Amino acid sequence: MKTTLTALATLTAGLLFSTHSLAHHSFAAEFDADKKLDIAGVVTKVEWTNPHTYFWIEVEGKEGVDVWGFEMGSPNGLMRRGWTKDTLAIGTEVIVRGTQARDGSTRGNAQAVILADTCTRLFAGTSQRDFVEDESAKVEGCTPKQ
Amino acid sequence: MSKYLKLSLLGAAIVAASTTLAQPPAREEGPRTPTPRLADGTVDLNGHGIWELPYITDFATRMVGAQKGDQPPMLPWSKALWEYNRSNDVKYDPEGFCLPPGGPRSMGTPYPAEFVQQGDRILIIFEGGGHVWREIHMDGREHPEDVNPTYFGHSVGRWEGDTLVIDTVGYNEKTWIDFNGHVHSDQMHTIERITRPFKEVLHYEATIEDPGAYSAPWTVAWDIEWTDGAELQDYICQENNIWLVELKDDLGHPFFEKMEAP
Repeated sequence: MKTTLTALATLTAGLLFSTHSLAHHSFAAEFDADKKLDIAGVVTKVEWTNPHTYFWIEVEGKEGVDVWGFEMGSPNGLMRRGWTKDTLAIGTEVIVRGTQARDGSTRGNAQAVILADTCTRLFAGTSQRDFVEDESAKVEGCTPKQ
Repeated sequence: MSKYLKLSLLGAAIVAASTTLAQPPAREEGPRTPTPRLADGTVDLNGHGIWELPYITDFATRMVGAQKGDQPPMLPWSKALWEYNRSNDVKYDPEGFCLPPGGPRSMGTPYPAEFVQQGDRILIIFEGGGHVWREIHMDGREHPEDVNPTYFGHSVGRWEGDTLVIDTVGYNEKTWIDFNGHVHSDQMHTIERITRPFKEVLHYEATIEDPGAYSAPWTVAWDIEWTDGAELQDYICQENNIWLVELKDDLGHPFFEKMEAP
């Protein structure tokens, strides 16, 4: 597993990153760029669907467990950047950084998915316009567990 | 003389006038392998690899000879519609509904493309834009007298030296010019000029002539980078387009409703 993650991180870092968003749906109509999210949880479901990939995490809240759903880019975009169908296995601990839905629900647009064990940042293919992917090796605010 | 022949002749004049504006690719770094050619000497527009189409969200930023902030010469109605589209975060963008990008937008929309060159036609196949393709007739035919409007229109191509010139009419009005909300009418006529000055770059130019929406023709241009050995992937936009299901019109009603008899 660790080898795979290292390979993925290397691949991600080695590829040219784009300074533009990947998807074409109107991010602004659905998500609020000012409602920043930075939350940790455990992956419970992944849907490799077009035009957006979705995953859900369970987050420890003050009054029990909250379920958050996140939109990423399309499968072709993610897989070109090193993802495989097994990258985000059920039960994986992740930190998700992104923005929340305008309607205030527990739904968001992921800009970065960080594997909590290694602090490896995964490209999330956000549809936010003019978003610049930060692919620096160091992930701020994350301490590797391994 | 048919309407489209007239348009074509006008288009030829526009192209002749615009060739002086054509700029060679501004690429200064990276390899510059000589232009690959087919056995008969024609420029090979592909090979084993893909073209990394840039995402051109606002065509106004790519207008040839324009200054920053300039807009294409919109008519009052098309300007009003463009402003409206911007005012609601371009939520009615047809490409967001997984409809084809149509016309020049297909060359500046997410995900790569490949050219398939055959003797009598050229196909451009797109990973994105709903996994669509364009067909350019290279057998010398002309546009039909009365073409049925379609998303990609009717395209005829010819080689002018090493430049592929694609002339297209017969667009429907179901697409936008760009993500930024610029619109067009079914009178749109496009002339695209494509060169491959060296293996790694495709230079793309498109002149948009649409008296139904613009007071004068305007030209956009950009470069497209080659990735050797890469391949197209699966992208089926319409699979689970939640956006389409949840979209509400300005009065709060579902945007897509069942079509009913009047």
